[in-house]
Amino acid sequence: MRAPAGVRDFDPADMTIRVGAGTPVAELDAALAEAGQRANLPLTPGATVGGVLAVGRDDLHALGRGRLRDALLEAVFVADDGQVVTAGGPTVKNVSGFDLCRAMVGSLGTLGLVGEVILRTWPRPPVQQWLAGPCDPRELRRRLYWPSSILWDGQTAWIHLEGHASDVESEADLAQSLGCEPTEGPPTLPPHRVPVGALEAGGFSGRYLVQIGTGSAFVSEPIPVPTPDRAVVALHERLKAEFDPRGRLNPGRDPLAAT
Amino acid sequence: MKFRKADPLVEDLRRVLPLDRIRVAPLERSLMGRDASIFEGGQAGPVCFPIDTGEVQGCVDTARRHGRAVVPRGAGTGLAGGAVPLEEPVVVVTTKMNRLLSVDADSRVAWVQPGMINLDLSRATAPYGLHFAPDPSSQQVCSLGGNVGTNAGGPHCLAHGVTSAHVLAVEVVLMSGEAVVLGDPDGWAPGMDLRGAYVGSEGMMGITTAIAVRLTPDPPAVQTLLLAFDSVDAAAQTVSAVIADGIVPAAIEMMDNNIIRAVEAYVGAGFPTDAAAVVIVEVDGLPGGVAEEADRVVELATARGASVRRAVDEQERALLWKGRKSAFGAIARIKPNYYLHDTVVPRTRLAEVMNRVYEIVEEHDLQVMNVFHAGDGNLHPMLLFDRREPGIMPRVHAAGAAIIEASLAVGGVLSGEHGIGMEKRDFMPLMFSEADLDAQARLRRAFDPGGMANPSKVLPTGASCADVNALDKVPDGVWG
Amino acid sequence: MSPKATLGNDREGSRSRPTLGIDTEELASCVSCGLCLPHCPTFRVTGEEWASPRGRISAMREVQDNGAAVDAAFLSSMDSCVQCRGCEPACPSGVPFGSMMEATQAELARRRRFDWRRWGFRVLGHSWLLNLMSRMLAVAQRLRLVPSKRLGLPPIPLAQGRLRATGDDVWLFTGCVMDAWQRSTHAAVKRVVEAAGAGVALPGTGAGCCGALSLHAGLEDHARSLAVRTMKALEGSAPILVDSAGCGAALKEYGKHLGTPEAAAFSERVLDVNEWLAAQADRLPAGGERGQDITVAVHDPCHLRHVQRAHQPVADVLSRYATVVALDDEGLCCGAGGAYAAMQPDLAASIRDRKLEAIKRSGADIVVSANPGCTIHLANAGVTVRHPLEIVDEAIDHDG
Repeated sequence: MRAPAGVRDFDPADMTIRVGAGTPVAELDAALAEAGQRANLPLTPGATVGGVLAVGRDDLHALGRGRLRDALLEAVFVADDGQVVTAGGPTVKNVSGFDLCRAMVGSLGTLGLVGEVILRTWPRPPVQQWLAGPCDPRELRRRLYWPSSILWDGQTAWIHLEGHASDVESEADLAQSLGCEPTEGPPTLPPHRVPVGALEAGGFSGRYLVQIGTGSAFVSEPIPVPTPDRAVVALHERLKAEFDPRGRLNPGRDPLAAT
Repeated sequence: MKFRKADPLVEDLRRVLPLDRIRVAPLERSLMGRDASIFEGGQAGPVCFPIDTGEVQGCVDTARRHGRAVVPRGAGTGLAGGAVPLEEPVVVVTTKMNRLLSVDADSRVAWVQPGMINLDLSRATAPYGLHFAPDPSSQQVCSLGGNVGTNAGGPHCLAHGVTSAHVLAVEVVLMSGEAVVLGDPDGWAPGMDLRGAYVGSEGMMGITTAIAVRLTPDPPAVQTLLLAFDSVDAAAQTVSAVIADGIVPAAIEMMDNNIIRAVEAYVGAGFPTDAAAVVIVEVDGLPGGVAEEADRVVELATARGASVRRAVDEQERALLWKGRKSAFGAIARIKPNYYLHDTVVPRTRLAEVMNRVYEIVEEHDLQVMNVFHAGDGNLHPMLLFDRREPGIMPRVHAAGAAIIEASLAVGGVLSGEHGIGMEKRDFMPLMFSEADLDAQARLRRAFDPGGMANPSKVLPTGASCADVNALDKVPDGVWG
Repeated sequence: MSPKATLGNDREGSRSRPTLGIDTEELASCVSCGLCLPHCPTFRVTGEEWASPRGRISAMREVQDNGAAVDAAFLSSMDSCVQCRGCEPACPSGVPFGSMMEATQAELARRRRFDWRRWGFRVLGHSWLLNLMSRMLAVAQRLRLVPSKRLGLPPIPLAQGRLRATGDDVWLFTGCVMDAWQRSTHAAVKRVVEAAGAGVALPGTGAGCCGALSLHAGLEDHARSLAVRTMKALEGSAPILVDSAGCGAALKEYGKHLGTPEAAAFSERVLDVNEWLAAQADRLPAGGERGQDITVAVHDPCHLRHVQRAHQPVADVLSRYATVVALDDEGLCCGAGGAYAAMQPDLAASIRDRKLEAIKRSGADIVVSANPGCTIHLANAGVTVRHPLEIVDEAIDHDG
């Protein structure tokens, strides 16, 4: 089934945008860029807004820009019984009732078919810059005020800075004093995502890239990830049973198994 | 109910808690009957003061065996009646669980117990140059467990996000007695964001027993501006203009004349008591952006007739914030009771809704004060009254309902940070359809199938669900 | 099922006799926001509502407005209050907690048939009796006949030098216990005042006791008679300097408590000695070199900080003679509270532990406090505590 696509409602002065879940993330980004804004969604090629939310993976810049789960304000979905349900609310701040739309993030569509979402948007910073070098990523994190991303492959650290020109310049100077040099962009990411804990446990081969501050790493060869806590599994099962007692929504997919 | 020595519930609780941490005297229970909201006279059963997760599990287990509901309570500063116990549940107070469990300054993560006071956490992490960003006005007293329960906000949540964005993991004791960790302190959490679904659940999904919070680095530069306006309209227009300009300051707070005068009488911070409204704007971050944005804010404000004062030092800045943050408490200088609303409207509709609020209050012949998180569009109209004045309550309720309706009419929401609790429970159908509410009920059932955690809050009962617009049918007495 | 909607007490119907004698407007003035809680020492150490200002006001309302019984829980809530009044400056609405607590204590005192304080505090008004008993106590201490530590007693001097008047520019109020047990502090204070160029007059035996302890115990009549005697003994128009924060607060509130124009005029003349010295800054002599070498932590007595709201001059004066550090606990009480430490030893000790932590964090060599109660209470925990003007007195070169 395909969700509706396209921007439904966007007043830049509200800094929120209502889009069909089927909208490609690239299209969303282009529409926001015109107003000097952006949403904190990963710009996965070919992916849709609803898709990246259902998968729930953070953007590479989550360290500085925040988590994907915080980007979603409201989700309108079709429940298993065909009823249309609105979870969350349209404003940047909202605690009216339970935060159901948070549970939709990372649910792989197993709780309902999301048709439309409202996202929070942010100003697009005027200047950005990648640097890389043989520096200690912890040191970078300690010394720099608000880097948007720090990646580390065991030898080289990549760091992304963004903001006002003079600030990016002074922070880049600081990074350079720690051994980084300007570079074009981040390295290509190894395909498999694992928790940093699994990486630290050892027993893997090949290339890896740690996304500092997000608890995750990318590895070239898949490695076993720790099994989730029994109580967490049980909660997932109970949620599934409440929202999809007949098992009609995205059958066979287990959100906990996805990485 | 009399608590005799032989009360089997109390007897059993004494197996899990020492004698002096279970309070059963009528007075001690009656003091649990209210929080900082308008509600009084809730009825607490035995009041328990556990000090660790195991003891909370013991309390929950015992309550379950006796078929008794459980209501968690922190500092009791909630404004929506979320912690008001109904029908003598076991009240689990977390104030003695107030330890900082660990701080990892490099990873910027701290584990805390739920009874720790919000400001105490920031004080404890100050030596590392870190703080906890959500700063409710009650931060000097409210507990972090309560912050999780309501998904609390605060002036500095504009740029950095509300509590949910700063909670990495929570340890929760479910009503089964089982303890579960939702989320992950490192950030790795596959599957649904159950952590996010739990935050803001107002004690209705379990009891928070530990929290892994994200710590925010102290900004290298801060500028705090006090903008004074001749009209509320110009102030509201300025707020919208700042956001529309692509600036997201750390905080934008607004106070109208009534509250300026009440606050000034308390702090003497030099707020201009003749201004129709003041707006406090704080920009923080690296020095270049801070200077640039502060100048731009000043430009936008003076174009709308503002006179501008810049805080020259940390002391002046602290004084301005003290004034802002003591505003709610200061109102008793004018009237002994207040009913505080907490709606959010799209930021472009701020001026319009503010005007409507003043109209509504005039129509109902009441006094109002406005002090709120303008940058988020989060209104806090405070209706002032003396409940001893005959016939006042119906007017207060009618005006409150009209304010809520006006906010919803422009695409707003019921509550921005205080929560629904009992206060707005029966307004929920104004914002949500029956199917929406049913979905929320299902979410809660997944966590608490028996409905024993803080029952009768947030979700309207079946009966009142039907009375969508019947605001005058709110049960007698509920509004104090 | 809808929850029982019993919330909200309709106060319109409850205009019965105020059983605790608390002013009804005062009692209605608390909005229960809870901003006082962290500023209450007993709430800080217990985390329990009955031990907080908000809880105590709710309890007063339960009794006065809703007819609840004055039972053991109520008494323990009221008697556990240190009456430090740290909640008052913390209250955005200016709720007069101290006045409500005094009214409550007065009512409770009327109901208590036997209260040793009713007789015990009588002694404070008669300096000959107090001195006699102090001398006996001092002898008993030396014979190890009294458990001083458990009773919170300082070492009491066997004999004390006489203070002599040197003029009539200012009065120095000497009080009861302080004069009997810590007269050397008075002597130091007197020397500092004289060094600032003022002649010091001393009251006769009439101004024995300010009445603060009696007032806090609810013994209003006794407090009032002591006030009248004190006013009589300190006649004229000269400023009345007080070196005990608790006494100073009491003297400053005579106007309010007695309600007469004379009492109001009297209270106007009362100053904490540090307030007076700070105003004579240009006449204060310079300190010696060695003073700056010691780091002194200032413990603000509650009755100086919260009641008189005049704690700043202490640091202002002292910092001319020593390196002064502030404590980082926002002036939370130390738990002394007049007779509190003796009445509620467990709570007083827990409260003191917090203060000791703050003192430790400050890294100071010694602690000063402008109140004898605090000095005795903290010293009992093994901390060196002195009156700030003793430090000043030692730093001033009196011969130069």
